[in-house]
Amino acid sequence: MATRSAPFLTPGRVCLLLSLPLLGLALTTLQTHDGLVVGLQALFETPAQNSERLLLHYSWWPRLSMALLAGGGLALAGVLMQQVLRNPLAAPTTLGVANGANLALMATTLMAPWLLIPGREWVALAGGGLAMGLVFLLAWRRGLAPVVVVLAGLVVNLYLGALSMVLLLFHQEELKGLLIWGAGSLSQNGWGGVVYLWPRLTISVLLAWLLLKPLAILELNDASARSLGVSLKHLRLAGLGLAVFITGCVVSVVGVIGFIGLAAPNIVRLAGARRLGQRLLWATLLGALLLATTDLLLQHFTSTLPTLIPTGATTAALGAPLLLWLIPRLRLQGDQPPSAAHAIGHRHPSPNHLAVRLVLALTVLATVALFIGQGGAGWSWLSLDQWSVMEWRLPRILAAAGSGVMLAIAGTVVQRLTANPMASPEVLGISGGSAIALIAAIFLLPAPGNLTLVAAGTLGALASLAVLIALNRRSGYLPERLLLTGVAITALFDAVRSIVLAGGDPRGQQVIAWLSGSTYYVDLHSAVIVIGAAIVLALATRPFARWLDILPLGAATASALGIGVERSRLALLALVALLTACATLVVGPLSFVGLLAPHMARLLGFSRAHTHLLGATLIGALLMVLADWVGRQLLFPQEIPAGLVASLLGGAYFMWGLRRA
Amino acid sequence: MTDAYPMFRHIASTHFLAGLALLLLLAPTHALRADTPAIATLDWTIAETLVALGVAPQAVAQTDAYRDWVGEPPLPASVTDLGLRTQPNLELLASLEPERILISPMFANLTPRLSRIAPVENLSLYTPEGDTWEQMGKLTRQVAQLVGRPHAGERLIADAEAYLASLRTTLDSSNHSPLLIVQFMDERHVRVFGNNGLYQAVLDRLGLVNAWQGQTNDWGFSLVGIEALVDIEARLVVVEPYPVGVKAQLANSGLWQHLPSVRDDTLITLPPVWSFGALPSAKRFATELVAALGGSNGN
Repeated sequence: MATRSAPFLTPGRVCLLLSLPLLGLALTTLQTHDGLVVGLQALFETPAQNSERLLLHYSWWPRLSMALLAGGGLALAGVLMQQVLRNPLAAPTTLGVANGANLALMATTLMAPWLLIPGREWVALAGGGLAMGLVFLLAWRRGLAPVVVVLAGLVVNLYLGALSMVLLLFHQEELKGLLIWGAGSLSQNGWGGVVYLWPRLTISVLLAWLLLKPLAILELNDASARSLGVSLKHLRLAGLGLAVFITGCVVSVVGVIGFIGLAAPNIVRLAGARRLGQRLLWATLLGALLLATTDLLLQHFTSTLPTLIPTGATTAALGAPLLLWLIPRLRLQGDQPPSAAHAIGHRHPSPNHLAVRLVLALTVLATVALFIGQGGAGWSWLSLDQWSVMEWRLPRILAAAGSGVMLAIAGTVVQRLTANPMASPEVLGISGGSAIALIAAIFLLPAPGNLTLVAAGTLGALASLAVLIALNRRSGYLPERLLLTGVAITALFDAVRSIVLAGGDPRGQQVIAWLSGSTYYVDLHSAVIVIGAAIVLALATRPFARWLDILPLGAATASALGIGVERSRLALLALVALLTACATLVVGPLSFVGLLAPHMARLLGFSRAHTHLLGATLIGALLMVLADWVGRQLLFPQEIPAGLVASLLGGAYFMWGLRRA
Repeated sequence: MTDAYPMFRHIASTHFLAGLALLLLLAPTHALRADTPAIATLDWTIAETLVALGVAPQAVAQTDAYRDWVGEPPLPASVTDLGLRTQPNLELLASLEPERILISPMFANLTPRLSRIAPVENLSLYTPEGDTWEQMGKLTRQVAQLVGRPHAGERLIADAEAYLASLRTTLDSSNHSPLLIVQFMDERHVRVFGNNGLYQAVLDRLGLVNAWQGQTNDWGFSLVGIEALVDIEARLVVVEPYPVGVKAQLANSGLWQHLPSVRDDTLITLPPVWSFGALPSAKRFATELVAALGGSNGN
């Protein structure tokens, strides 16, 4: 699966190379305390009162041990997952395990805190297991193909992220501790964590050793493995179960640590470790060294900052560029042209009638949303002359509809372009880039106004588009590579968000409000612009309908029919970026409309590109207007942002639909 | 925001006169009165200041959470809940027709929208420059001016000064070791409060020494692991609440058990106080702290 390895780098040398800075840093730290001898003494004997030695014994040494254990454990879990799924991109974070654990802990803290007393690890384990189950459910029908699994993981991650956003939006004060945990801090104040983790990891390593031979068979394809008399199902279950157990244990002690589980196994493989045994050994070692070195560096450089820079989110932030670098060097099964089988859904006999019905539904819904709502005195029906209330509602309905339309079109184009029903503009990372820029603006500029924020968001969207183009130009905008680039950008966004929120700065509340995506900030002027942009861009998409009918058939067919594949992909991509940037600024990076609307349209029977676009557009508008209205009424006077409501309603429907289809 | 100023001056002056007249008519009383201008605010610190000035705000954002995290002084029952602080319900706010909306710089991006409903005043408290106690006084004066009760403002400030001064005399401050004020985030991390914060301002007034000399952010705290507390010679003050399960975890923490205050059982635990508050929260913190210090002194 790996490509050529540079001959002078063997896994052993990579580890050796990395252990040099680790040792150097560790020695420097010990020297600045009372010297090496005292430092080693402090490791083994319980000190009395000397605060230097107390620190070494109860904090520095446990932290170093914890970093080594956690890094090794996560890398081991990564190797197992990658082996079982035959997918070099599988990892605890990409499969949703970490986010599932995080959400489970948040929900438990708020609703059933007594569950946390016997031990957080069980809650984390259950959450992580459930999330990964969901990923498999989504990817099952495509035979757990690598790219599909990673995309399903991203969709689940986005969905869980949206759910945690809702909880955070309403309970920031209660959840501030979990924000630190979610960003993965390795700080220790005793040996308790290490004592908890090492026996569990030892058992896991032994189990992994026992599974070594059978798991190696998985490198063959299913048929030959089966002919050797191995129960693939049980084997996969055992391998994955072990990986989730390890992740759950590590995550419950130190929080979410990004990317070690993805990076270490891949680096080892690129350095030439082929056999499973080799990879397990070296990846575990490398993971331990990677995390410990990063952590020592962080301790060294951030000790004077007035806030804590969590190690877990930092490795994730460093890992994102690594992933971007890695993607072109991996050969993935998903690169094969898509099979025709996934063109799910039937064709409706007369899509125009269906469209008319949708238009009617949209009209009714918009009327309800405009005239019915709660006020200080309960539910009321507005009369036409109550402009004082209408002036707040109308822009929101318009903006919701407009952004719904834009996301739906963007989603339809991406899904047809990549021939992948799980693709969406959110997945491309354009929303993520825009969100990173917004966070930066909120934290770096004093009291930024809305215009500044909009400008920052647009710049961010353009920057991620530039990254997408720069990294994919060589491969000719190969659909699967594009999506993986998006995964990396989204991961970076997650990391930045975690670091910023973990510090507990009160401005974090504002970040959450912006990120959760709401029509709240739209006034009539900008709503008209949003609607105008939606209409113009919708009309601009129509001439592309022919391309969109042909491109999903594969590059060969498309060029045979006289389409410049690369150029048309670039043009469509630019269109998607523009649509996504406009919509993200209104409803935030987390809405699922771009994923859902095209999908629902297809399920309803809009199958040709032309009608597909039309149906998705109407459904997108319908979804967003509904989400906006429901969000404003459900917890009145508190408002749940439309983007979040849409992802909650839509995400649930989407997962249900995929399972059924 | 700037274009709201002429209007604001006009309203302020008329209400100032009205307030003055009322003060002459009525004997000073701490009961809340509804005869002041209808004020809506998004900021809890401004809300607590309003209540302490004897003014019932018309509407406050997230009143439930205010009760949990600020608590004292309690909001009167007449206060309308505006929804989230970052996204107050605009339809509701517009229908209440407040005469003035008070915000802090955190909500500055809402100013254009809010100013279509009523004149908006942006009042800052926690800014990097200047003494926090002075700034609390300034904020109190500004709020008092805006609601037409400058005298109530001066009285609140003078009361707070006098109250803390009297508390100071009950303490023999030369006898007290430096204090380290922390709040637990989880079993491994605390916020430690220092320069720029409410607790620091109170310690200064009481003549007590804050042992945390490290950096803090604009809100006067720094997020650190427990290990950062070891080097510091100080008596530990923990501001509640402890997050779920943290107390049990601390019992197993080697470092925590070796901290001098924990070992000697001189740790002080204080009930929750809003860490980003103004004079009312400051007074409350001072009361609790002095009671705890005095109580342990008496032993």
